[in-house]
Amino acid sequence: MEDAHLILFWLSLAAYGAEAGFRLAGVAPSSPRRSPLFAGVLLHAAFLGIRWVLSGHAPMAGLFESLTVFSFCCAVAGLLLCRSEETSMAWKPLSVLVLLPQAGAALIDKRLTPLYPALDTPWFATHVGLSFLGYGFFAAGLALGIVYLRSGGEAAYRAAGKSALYGFSAFSAGMVCGGIWAYYAWGSYWIWTPKEIWSVIVWIYFATLTHLKFIPAQGGWPGWTKRLEMGATAAGYGVVLLTFLGASLLLRSSHSF
Amino acid sequence: MTALWRFLTSLKTCAWAGLVFCVAGAAGSVAMGRFPELFADMDAQVFAGWFARKGLVDPAPTLWLYGLLSCTGLLVVNAACCTFERLVQIFRGTVTMRRLLPHVMHLAFLGVVLSHLVSAVYGDRIPGVAIPQGGFAPVGGTGWVMRLDRFDAVMAPEGYPKDFSATVTLFRDRTPVARGVVRTNEPLFHEGYGIYIKNFGTSPWGAPYAVFDANRDPGATAILVASLLFSAANLLYLFPARRNDA
Repeated sequence: MEDAHLILFWLSLAAYGAEAGFRLAGVAPSSPRRSPLFAGVLLHAAFLGIRWVLSGHAPMAGLFESLTVFSFCCAVAGLLLCRSEETSMAWKPLSVLVLLPQAGAALIDKRLTPLYPALDTPWFATHVGLSFLGYGFFAAGLALGIVYLRSGGEAAYRAAGKSALYGFSAFSAGMVCGGIWAYYAWGSYWIWTPKEIWSVIVWIYFATLTHLKFIPAQGGWPGWTKRLEMGATAAGYGVVLLTFLGASLLLRSSHSF
Repeated sequence: MTALWRFLTSLKTCAWAGLVFCVAGAAGSVAMGRFPELFADMDAQVFAGWFARKGLVDPAPTLWLYGLLSCTGLLVVNAACCTFERLVQIFRGTVTMRRLLPHVMHLAFLGVVLSHLVSAVYGDRIPGVAIPQGGFAPVGGTGWVMRLDRFDAVMAPEGYPKDFSATVTLFRDRTPVARGVVRTNEPLFHEGYGIYIKNFGTSPWGAPYAVFDANRDPGATAILVASLLFSAANLLYLFPARRNDA
């Protein structure tokens, strides 16, 4: 069973690969539910569920599980935000954003690993899960931002705005759970590490972004327009990547894999 | 005066402060790795104590902290002024209560920052209290002496710890004042302090020992309440009907 559940992982990877291939070739399904990606999400959910049961903990520990959950959250966020015909163009970049972490996970050791005692708490699943859900929405924001910058469209603009708001909300809740967990596990809700500083950077970045929507276009802001807002929404994904991978892999941090 | 008020309530002030905060934080995350002799013990004491000792010694590597603190201060004032302005509008009846939700989030944000300030100034950190099983050790300046009554570790066949716990007793003037089991994620709380087990091992003469931290964060409860308030207001804000024209 331990090896068998990985078949679901490979099948979901194949489905995500097929989706990205079709999208890049300009072939679009009639609806998201008839897409290989939708099948991939179902397979992926089954994989994560079985792995959770097999390991006895939320499958979010280590680089392999983090990457595959990241991919799953990107796909789920896309399915929630890119359902209409106007926003479907976002699937072209988004399918690649879903595929890449899953493909990266495929290169990593997939063995079930025991959980360090400090991670053995419900706060682990809520903190990491909500943070990745936020990351998923921010990935959708990149795709929708690109669509708006290339083709315009009010639907893409609204969906990108939702991606920033929903992502910010999920990420904020994840930070609250992380703070509670850290207080009980390490004796302080805040520890000075690069990863935590970058987490606050993500929070401030998207908090600011959700405020800027309310700056009147005629207010004299230096060139603040919907295009700049969409550019900032798209760039937010870069901040997320620096936080998730950059701070964990390049900078010494208690959150490192 | 009007210009100052406009500056303090402006969304542009929020935007610039947010941007500088991000740049300063990014610089800081790199500086922390490049100057470990300066930043490695940041969590070994409360922030105010660390900052008084090291923040002013070498300004260049800590410049990012000044940026971070200044921007946090400006964001707090900006949020406070913005909310005050909106409350006045609601009081005068020029806008409806429905527009209050983002300002509940502002107030929660203020609550988190100000409570953290209390912890950063009036908190306490007592790291690395190592006690062999059956032995005693003083707990910093609390006036307590802690005894490690018993230490238990469950090891996996692969050699990693699956679970470890310590039964401890706190004494003041030879009188026991608290007793409990401390394990990972389950500290012992007494008079505002949390006793956390951080490490364990075996001494050269074969007795097990455990290492504890004792921390006090007087703002922690207020931060929790403010964070939950923020999350609740944030959740309500996701409903479009409440978001319109907020």
